[in-house]
This record gives sequence, C-alpha cells and structure tokens, in this order.
Amino acid sequence: MRRALALAFVLAAANAAAAPRTLDDYRHFRALSIDLIGRAPTRAELAAFERDDFDWDKWLDSHLTGPGYVDRLTRVWMDLLRLEVGPAVTFAPPSATLRRQAITGPDGKPLNVYYRQGQRRMRDATDGEFCLSESEVGFQIVQNGQLKGTPKPVSQTALDASTVVVRPWWLYRDYLSSRPTLRLKEQWTDVDPLYQPIDELLNDPSGKPTEEIRVCREEAQTSDQGTIHASGRARPAPGTPPPEGRLRPLPADDGYAIKHAGEPISCRSSLALNMSVDCGCGLALQYCMPGESGGNDPRAFSLPTRTPLGLDQPIGSAPQTVSYWHKLWWSQEAIHFLGYIVGNDRDFREALTARYSLVNGPLAHFYKSSSAASCCSREKGFNMVQETEPLFDPARLPNDLFPSDTRAWRFIPDRGPHAAGLLTMPVFLTKYASRRARGAVLYNAFLCKSFVSPTGELPPSPEPNLMLRPGCANCHSTLEPLAAYFARVEETEWVYLPSWQFPLKNPLCKKNQQGKLPGYCEPFYDPAFSDGAQGLLRGAYASVDHAEAGPGGAAAALVADPQFASCTVERVAASFLGRPLTTDDSALLQSLTRGFVQDGYRLKPLVRAVLRSPQYRSSNNVRSSVWRAP
Amino acid sequence: MRRVLVLMCFSMCFSACRPPALIPPGATSQLPPSHPPILVDVAPKEAPRLLPAEAYVRTYMQLFGAQTLLEAQQKAKGKDGNQLFDNWGDYLTTLGFPDHRNDLPRARETNALMIATFERLGIALCDRAVERDFHAPMAQRIIFAFDPIDPIDSSQFAERFDVLHRTFLGYPSKLAPPGRIDRYYKLYKDTQTKHAKTRLSPTEAAWSAVCQGLIRHPEFLLY
Repeated sequence: MRRALALAFVLAAANAAAAPRTLDDYRHFRALSIDLIGRAPTRAELAAFERDDFDWDKWLDSHLTGPGYVDRLTRVWMDLLRLEVGPAVTFAPPSATLRRQAITGPDGKPLNVYYRQGQRRMRDATDGEFCLSESEVGFQIVQNGQLKGTPKPVSQTALDASTVVVRPWWLYRDYLSSRPTLRLKEQWTDVDPLYQPIDELLNDPSGKPTEEIRVCREEAQTSDQGTIHASGRARPAPGTPPPEGRLRPLPADDGYAIKHAGEPISCRSSLALNMSVDCGCGLALQYCMPGESGGNDPRAFSLPTRTPLGLDQPIGSAPQTVSYWHKLWWSQEAIHFLGYIVGNDRDFREALTARYSLVNGPLAHFYKSSSAASCCSREKGFNMVQETEPLFDPARLPNDLFPSDTRAWRFIPDRGPHAAGLLTMPVFLTKYASRRARGAVLYNAFLCKSFVSPTGELPPSPEPNLMLRPGCANCHSTLEPLAAYFARVEETEWVYLPSWQFPLKNPLCKKNQQGKLPGYCEPFYDPAFSDGAQGLLRGAYASVDHAEAGPGGAAAALVADPQFASCTVERVAASFLGRPLTTDDSALLQSLTRGFVQDGYRLKPLVRAVLRSPQYRSSNNVRSSVWRAP
Repeated sequence: MRRVLVLMCFSMCFSACRPPALIPPGATSQLPPSHPPILVDVAPKEAPRLLPAEAYVRTYMQLFGAQTLLEAQQKAKGKDGNQLFDNWGDYLTTLGFPDHRNDLPRARETNALMIATFERLGIALCDRAVERDFHAPMAQRIIFAFDPIDPIDSSQFAERFDVLHRTFLGYPSKLAPPGRIDRYYKLYKDTQTKHAKTRLSPTEAAWSAVCQGLIRHPEFLLY
C-alpha cells in the first residue's frame, strides 16, 4: 500500500501538467537547460516547468549568471583559441629551477643536494657546475643528470663548506618565518587539493619525511640584488683541454660582465645565474621551482592529467614536470579571466583591452620569479639586464598569496601599462609564439576572417617585403601590419622590449660596409629592412606605428573594427544554434549586432536575445511538423 | 555478323541524332476555392545539435547521483568486478572533448567510436541504477523512481515508462511519436522472457534494457 502511494505521488508530481506544453516547448526547455545549466533537466525541473506559474523570462534571467552559463560562454573562446600550451613547449629556466642530485653522504647513505645548472661559484673546481667537485663526491655531472665517475662518500667538511640546510617553500606553509614549523601534511593540513609535491620532494632517499633539504650554498643566498662578477680569467685557446677534475672548461667572463664588474644586478634576472656569485633563490628558495632530478625538465608536482569539467573536477593525477605546472596555471589565468568577463557581464572588448587579470598562488609565484628568468641574456647588449617594463609588473601582485594557494584567485586591477587582455598573457604568447601567428589568430578569432590566398602561385622572388612579394602579398599585406603590433614582444616569450632601450630605428644597429648588423643586434633588428644609417626592429617594417602601439594598439584596433562586434555575435550565435551562420541569418546577425553594441558589448543581453530568437527555438527542426505556410 | 553490326551502328547513330521528342504542355487548372492552400516548406532545416560532451558528462553524473566525475566513475565501476566501466580518461576523447593542449578540436558530429562509448556508458549507468534504485527507499531512487511490479500490464508499464522518458528525453511519453510506448513494452517483455540467469533478475534486466534504449536514444544524445 505504501509503495503504491509512493508511486502515485511520484507519478502525480511528474504528470502535474496543468499547463499544456507542446513537444516544442519541452524541447526548447531541454535545450535551454543544456546550454545554461550544462546538463539535461531533472524531473523536478520539468515539473516546475510544467506549472502554470512558470515564467520563461524569469527562468532565463536566473540562469544567465550561474557557473553553467559562465562555463558555456568561456568555452566558445577557449575552443577557438585553444589556450593550453602543448608538450612541445618546455619552461624550466636554469635560473629559476632547482635540480636535484643524489650524492653519497658522509655516513655512506644517499643524500640529495639541490643546485642550479650553470651557477657561477668562487671555486674554480665547481664554477658553473654542481657545487661539489669530483674529488669530493667521486663524479661529475655530464648533462641532464647523467653522471661520470663513481660516487663516494662526501666528507662532512666538504658538505658543510659547499651546501647549507634550508626549509624550503614547498614543504612549509610559514616558509617566510625565521624558523618554519608548519610542515606539509603534518602541522600544515588544510592544503589545497591541487597542491601536491611529488613523493620524491616530500621524502628523503630513505623514505622518511623530509624536514630540511641540502642546497648548494650559492643557490641558498637570499638577497634580491647581487653584483656582477668577473673572474678575470682569460678565455682559453680553442682546443685547450678542461682543467683537471672538470668535464668542461671554466666559464669565461662575458664581455658585459668584464665591462660592468662590480655593478649591481637583480637576482631575479636570468643573467644573475651566469654573472654573479652572490645571487640565489631567495629566502626559503622562494624564487625557484624544485625538481626531482637533474633532467632538462624535472618532475615536481602531481597534477590532474585531464580536466574536462574544469580544475574542480580533475581526472586522475600523475607526477608532472616543472613546465607542466607553469603551463597549467597559464591556461587557468585565461579561463578565469574570460570567466570574470562573462560572469560579471563586463564589456567584452575587455577580453582584448583589459589591463586587469586574475591570479592565484602559483601564478603570483610565477610572475614574481620564473617569469623574469626569460630575460635578459641576449638583451644585455642593449643594457637591458632585467625586464624594465614587464607585461605583468610583479610589484602589483599581492604579498599574501603563496605558491600553494591554488584555489585563491585574486583580482589584479592593473597588470601594467603594456597589458592588454588575453594578448599579453603567457599562455597566448607561447601558444602563438610568432608575431604572425599572434596576428593571424586574432584576425580569425575576433574578426571572423581567414587568410586564404586567391592565387596559388608563388613565383620565386628575392623581395623581402611580403606585402610586395608576388603570391604572398594577398595575405601578408593585411597580416604583416597586424603582426607588427607584436614587434615589441619577443617571439616565444613575453619579454617586452621598451622603446628607450630598443628604438624602432636604431643607429647603433646600422649595417656595416659588409652589409651586416652588429652581432648583438641580429636577434632584434632585421637586416632585410636596415640600412647604413639605422637598423629596424624585427617585425616593424610593415608599420612602425603599429610596432610602437604594441599589443595594446592591436587590442584597440581590433575592438574598433566594425567586424569585431558582428564577429563576437556570430561566434556566440553559432555556438548556441549549433551551426555556422549563413546569409539566411543576416537579418538576425544585424539585429543582434545592433543590440550588442547598444548594450555596451555585454554578453548577457546578447545571449538572452539569441536564446529568445525564433532561430534558437527552431534549431533542431528537421521534422515535418514544422512545415509552414508560405 | 558484320552486316548486323553495321546496321546496329547506323540505327544507334540515327536514334541519337534525332531531335528530342517534344511533350506539349498540358492544360493547367486552378484549385477549387474550397481547397486548402498547399503548404510549402520554406523554413530553414537545421539538423539536431550533438549534446556537448560537458553536458553529456554532467547529465551522466546527475543521473548517477554523483557530485564529482570520480564519484560517478566509482559508482559505475562498482565492486563486483563486472568491468562495466573503465576510466573517464579512456572515454573523454571519444565523447568529443577537445584537447587544446594537443590542438585536437571538439567533435561536433558523432562517429562510430563515439556511439560505442555512448553505448558502454549507457549500459554501465542503467545496470548500476537498477542494482541501486530497486534496493533503495523510494525517496532515494534517482532513475527508477517507481515500484517494479511483476507481472505488469501495458498501462502500468506506460506509467513507469513515462518516469524514465521524462528523465532521459525531457518530455512526457504521451508526446512521443506513436508506437514508442508499445515498442518499449515489447522490449521489456522480450527481455524479461528471454533473460538468462545473471546477477540481475528478469525484471531488473528488463527495466535496464528500457533504460539503455532511452539513454542511447538519438533524442537523448542530440538537442
């Protein structure tokens, strides 16, 4: 009896269809649920829909704010731009990555020592190498952790002379205190689930939890500023064998180091690794990422292998490299940035123009430490020894975000004067590494245009100007000026080349009598467009104005283009209609575009208009029941 | 023989070169005023959209009563070693999820592997739901929120089928194309009759078959 009553209740609730709904009504409601909630409706939601007092508009408005809606809209541009960096890109800069080497300790047991590849040291035996010499540990590191020799126990004296003991940031929550005590998984228990150093970083070779680690003495230094070091050694003649006990010759002094010896240098610059002996990884090694080996891209953290529904729903987890850690968070910055625009119904033009962004702990850590490590070895010829005008100024980051705060996302109102929405984020600049790739993807994603040459002929030509070269000009007359906006952002990197250090037309980089540029100019100035009076910055030949305007200029030009609004509308409408728009949809496109512009380029009114359009309601209409009278 | 061939060639040439036969137009006539206007379909025809992979998985989780993907995976796997479900990682690509890291775009159309994945996931869901729901209090039943009486007549079946129809396809079964309820009732009866002894009872197997038919229905996978 009770079962029968219960069944009657369920069926009554399910059939409470006081208001007659048509099949199309139900299909429309299901489609809206899928598009705005992110799943098919439940029976309870259907029952609510069937009630007399169901209000379409109210329902629609209440679902144009939720996480399903934000995810749905963010997906439109993430699918277009594919803002995740693939495995071909590695980012484990030597100056910001601590490798690890196992040695035999004084007691004969394995002992791990962390070091940086290429670190300058005062001792000739170890300068530019691991901090313990072959005579002390019995081996030398050939390359990427490969050893030559037979390990032997190191003496306590040698160990203490060359290494120190540190409580590093990845093991202690209170790493900035004078004596950290909150160790991961012991006193520090409220750890974000995505912060998982791999077991090798948590445990000693014996398997015991690591309390402290051994680090080479130079790497453990804490000052932010060091001095440029020149050993005074002459460069050995070619063919000279390395000194006894070394696999490689002693590092020679760089010309810049000889000229500027004794001058201060920022310890965050990549140059500090090779040009100073008094720069390290900072307090608690906070400016370096740890790695579990001496490999090129050592493993560091366990991270989700796939996140189909976002980072909150990870699938699987595996030890990942230092590069993977960085690339994951670069991608998340773009997702959170787009999510902020959608969720707060901001002017969509900000996707390209905004100077604000959102960061979490790992991103703040990256921008404070590893980001600067991309600069400045080639740039020092122009007296740029550290980033002077970074795209993301680390001074604008909060000080209370720790690298382990993976879930704490903070709004940064202004990244710096050169910031421009997605265009200056590391994920965009590494995914689209060249100036032309950056220009082309923006042209396609935000103006809905593609580069398709009307002619397939590519006659041989010595013409360096692609805007003139036959067969190339059709596309490059548009692409080159667009690419020129990125002339001041290094390719494959995010280093910004300031105009006062890298003038567009630089007399110092003029061609010599042999028609060549000075060697240090070649990476930055284009011989094909330089002359005997001055060199021209690479990528700027198509438009010096665009090159001067930078990525912000590209953003301004794109959002000012009339195609921007209609392209945004087209992207959104096509996504919800599930098909490309055709000429049959021109009236809809025009109407939506007009409304989108009038509403201040906000997505919510646009999506509402799309979802209320007859085209959306009649999507999926391959049924004879929708035949209409002419 | 040669003469016959020559004759055939001439006759073929003659017929091919002849001017086309003209068919004179017939007389046109107006429809009588009482005749209703003839409908002409001018509406653009738009094919159904494939359920986004995210929506499929979220719906799947909701049908499993799971809060997370891993919880759904755990429930689908079960503890009986039946291997109804492997791991989400094995299904993501075939479900159509994009892989932006490797520049693999989102699949917007079905393919054979995708259909096979839908089938496998559907079977896992329905079998586990039968095991769970029919042994849980009514208030906790997620999919089979009814009493599986046995024997069951067609009207009793229709009432229960409507619950499943709403759950999976989002509308009452009475609005479905004619014959659907009867076909599913036949599926139910056939499965129940032919069911060999397994961990599921004949009635459970029959309801699972109905469930599988709905979760693999084009109307569930498209929208």
